[in-house]
Amino acid sequence: MASPAPQHHHHKRPDERTHQAEADRLIAPGHDFGTVTDTISKIVLQRQTPKGWWLGFAFGFCLLQLMLYAIGNLLFVGIGTWGVTIPVGWGFDIINFVWWIGIGHAGTLISAILLLLRQEWRTSINRFAEAMTLFAVACAGFYPIFHTGRPWIAFYWLLPYPNTMGLWPNFRSPLIWDVFAVTTYATVSALFWFVGLIPDLATLRDRAKSKPWKIVYGMAALGWRGSARHWHNYETAYLLLAGLATPLVVSVHTVVSFDFATGIVPGWHATIFPPYFVAGAIYAGFAMVLTLSIPLRKFYGLEDFITMKHLENMAKVMMATGLIVGYGYMMEAFFAWYSSNTYEEFMIKNRMFGPYALSYWALILCNVVAPNLLWIKNLRTNVTVLFLMSFVVSVGMWLERFVIIVTSLSRDYLPSSWGLYAGTHVDWAAFIGTIGLFITLLFLFVRFLPAISIFEMRTLVPAAEMPEEEEK
Amino acid sequence: MSAAVTVPPQVARLQRNALAAAGVGIVGCAILGFANPAQFFRSYLFAFLFWSNVAIGCLSITMIHHLSGGLWGLVIRRVMEAGTRTLKALPLLFLPVVFGLHQLFVWTHAETVAADPMLRHKATYLNTPFFLVRAAFYFLTWALLAHFLNKGSLALDAGPNLKTERRLRGIAGGGLVLMGLTITFASVDWAMSLDPHWFSTIYGVMFMIGQALSALTFAILLMAALRREKPFAGVVEPSHIHDLGKLMLAFTMLWAYMHLSQFVITWSGNLPEEIPWYIRRSNNGWQYVAILVALFHFVLPFLMLLSRDLKRNVGSLAVIAGLVFAFRALDLFWMIAPDLVDHGHVVGLKVHLLDVAALLAVGGAWLALFARELKDRPLLPIGDPEIHELILEAEAEQARA
Repeated sequence: MASPAPQHHHHKRPDERTHQAEADRLIAPGHDFGTVTDTISKIVLQRQTPKGWWLGFAFGFCLLQLMLYAIGNLLFVGIGTWGVTIPVGWGFDIINFVWWIGIGHAGTLISAILLLLRQEWRTSINRFAEAMTLFAVACAGFYPIFHTGRPWIAFYWLLPYPNTMGLWPNFRSPLIWDVFAVTTYATVSALFWFVGLIPDLATLRDRAKSKPWKIVYGMAALGWRGSARHWHNYETAYLLLAGLATPLVVSVHTVVSFDFATGIVPGWHATIFPPYFVAGAIYAGFAMVLTLSIPLRKFYGLEDFITMKHLENMAKVMMATGLIVGYGYMMEAFFAWYSSNTYEEFMIKNRMFGPYALSYWALILCNVVAPNLLWIKNLRTNVTVLFLMSFVVSVGMWLERFVIIVTSLSRDYLPSSWGLYAGTHVDWAAFIGTIGLFITLLFLFVRFLPAISIFEMRTLVPAAEMPEEEEK
Repeated sequence: MSAAVTVPPQVARLQRNALAAAGVGIVGCAILGFANPAQFFRSYLFAFLFWSNVAIGCLSITMIHHLSGGLWGLVIRRVMEAGTRTLKALPLLFLPVVFGLHQLFVWTHAETVAADPMLRHKATYLNTPFFLVRAAFYFLTWALLAHFLNKGSLALDAGPNLKTERRLRGIAGGGLVLMGLTITFASVDWAMSLDPHWFSTIYGVMFMIGQALSALTFAILLMAALRREKPFAGVVEPSHIHDLGKLMLAFTMLWAYMHLSQFVITWSGNLPEEIPWYIRRSNNGWQYVAILVALFHFVLPFLMLLSRDLKRNVGSLAVIAGLVFAFRALDLFWMIAPDLVDHGHVVGLKVHLLDVAALLAVGGAWLALFARELKDRPLLPIGDPEIHELILEAEAEQARA
C-alpha cells in the first residue's frame, strides 16, 4: 500500500505541471517568426474571401440600414420622433452613448495601461481591441451629434469660439467637458491604433501579391524599412502615446459620470459615480472583447495566439471590475438609506419596486449575480460559458444606464410631473443600427488589416527570447 | 540562505526607539489628557486612525500582490506581512476610542438623537451596541485574513508549492472583497459618523486608497533604511524600486482623483446637506491645510515621481515617500478634525499638543510591535525561486569581493 501511493504521486506531479504550463502559455509551441507572420497575414492576403465573412458582413450591413432609416426619419420629422419628452428628456440617446463609449475603454486599457504594466498577455488582443475602441467611439458619437437635431450646424454650439453674438458654452457644464474628453479620446485612440499598425502594414506591403495592394499598404506604411533607427524611434513614440492614452481611460468616463453626478437629481448626485462609472466601462469593454475574440479565434483558427490564458485573464479583469460595479450599487443603496433624505430613499425604493423594477432586478442579476460564477476556474476556462457571460454583462451594462437615467428622471422631486418613458421604434432602429455599423466596420477591419499584431506576436516566440545576460 | 534570517541592527534600533517614543507619548497623553480628557479622545481617535490605516493598507497590498505577482511585492512582502501581524493588537489600541465614544460621537447622546429626526432614523445603524459589534467583526476579519496569509507565506519558505500558492490566491481574492466592505463601513463608523448628518458614497474608497498609499510609502521608507543590510543588500535592484515608485505614483494619482471627484460633485450640487462639510474645511485656517495637502500630498510628489531616475533610486524615492507619509497624517487631520469639536459649528484650525502626543504614543507602540513581528521571520520570502536566486547571486558577489 505504501509503495504505489508515492508512485502515483510522482506520476501526477509532472502531469499537473505540464497542465499548468499549458494553461499559462501565451502562444502555442512550435511557432517561429515565419509561421506567426504567415498565419496572421494570410487572413488579410488570401485572394478568396471566405463565405462566412460575406455572411457576417451582410448581416452587419443589413442592420446598418436601420441606422440610415433612423437618421432619415429623425432629420425629416425632428427629435419628436424619439421617445424623449418631459420629464424624461434623456433616454436612448444618452443610454446608448454611455454604453458604447464605455465599451471602448477596454481597448485603451489593454493597449495603453497593460503595455505600461508590461503585461505580455495583451499582445494578441490589443490590435482588435483598439479597433473595437475606435468603432465603439464612432457609434457613441452618433447619439449626441444627432440629438442636436441639426448636426450640420452642431459644432457651432458644441465648441467654444469667439463669435459675433458673444455666445459661449457654459464652461461649468460637464457636457462641454464631454466634447473635449471624447474628441481627444477619439483622436489619441486613432493615432495609437495607426502607429501600432505601421510595422505590420509594411509586412503586408512586402507580402501582397497584387500591385494595387502593394501601393495601398505601402503608402499606409509610411516608408517603414525596419531599420534599427526606425525601431528605436518607433518604440519611443509608441510608449509616449501609451502614456498619453492612459489618463484617457479614466478621464472620459469620469466626465461622463459628471454629466449625471453634478446634477442634483436623486440617483444621479452620488460621489461614488466617477470610479464606479470607470469600472463599469472597463467591465463592459472586456465583455465586448470576449464577445469578439472568441468567434475570431475559432473561425480563423487563431487558438494558438489567443490562448485560454488570454480568455481567463480577461474573465478575471471582467469579474474584478464587475465586483467594483456591484460595490457601487451597494453604496448607492446603503447611503440612500443612511442619508435619511426622503428623496434619496424614495429613489432607491422606486428603482427596486417602482415601474422599472424589472429592469433593476435584471440588471442586478446580469451585473452582480451572474459574474460571480467566474470565481470557479472550470467555468472561467470554458469558452461557451465565457461567450454567454460576455453577452449577459453587455445586457447588464445597458440596463444599468437605462435604470440610472430613466428611473431618476421619470420620478424626481415633484409627483405632479412624473411620467413614464419607453423608446420608440426609431430609437430601437438607431440602436440596432449602431450595432450594425459596429459589426460592419469590424468585418472590414478583419478583412483588410491584421487583426493581431504580427510584429508583437513575433516577440513571444521562443527564438525571440534574449539570453538573460543580455537583458541586463 | 542563512543570510536571509539575520536581522539588521536597524530593526532592533527601531524597536527600541519606538518604545521610547511610545513612552514619551503615553506620559504626555497622561499628563495633558488628565487636564483635558475631551481633547485626549479627539487626538487619540486621530492617532488611532492614522496608524491603523498603515496596518490595514499592509493587508490590502499583501493580497493585491498575491493576485498580481511581481518581484516588487516579493521584496516588500515580509515588511507588509509584519504590518498585517500587528492587526491582532488593533482591538487593544481601539479600547480608548470605545471609552471615548460618548465624547467623540454626537449620535451616542440620547437627548440629541431624540430631538433630531434624521438621527432617529439612523439610530438603527448608529447605536453603541451595533457599532461595537461591527468593530469586532472588522477586527476579526482582518486578524483572520492576516493569520492565514502569514501561515501560507511561511509555509512557502520551504520551497515552491503550487497548492499553497493557489490557496493564497484564493484567500486574497475573497479577502479583497471583504476588505472593500469592512474598510468602507469602518470608515463610515469611525470617521464619517463624526458628522452624522453628512454622507458621501466615495468616502470608503478614499480610505482604501489612502491606506494603500500609507502602507506603500512606509515600505519604501523601510527599504531605504535597510538597503545596505543583509539580506536586502545586492538583492533589491533598481527595477524593484522602480515598480514600487510607479505604484506610489499610481496611488498618489488615485488619491487625488477620489478627492477631486468628491469635491467637484459636491461643489457643483451645492446642496445644504453636503456643502457644509467643505465650508467647514475651507474657512478659519482650514483652507491653508487644504492647500498644503493639495501641494505636498499631490502636486509635488506627482511631479517628482514622473522622473524615472528618481523612482529607481531608493534614497531619493524615500524622501518623497516620507513627505507623502507625513502628509497622510495632515490629510486625515483635515478630513476628521473639523468635525471633532463642537459638532455642527464652524471651528477654527487648532493643533493641540495632545495630537502630537497621541501620534507618538500610538505610533511608538505600533512601530515597536511591527519591529518585533518583523524580526520573527526571514526578511525575504526565501522559498521563492526568484528571490532565492537573487540571494545566491548576492552572496556570490560578496564572496568575490
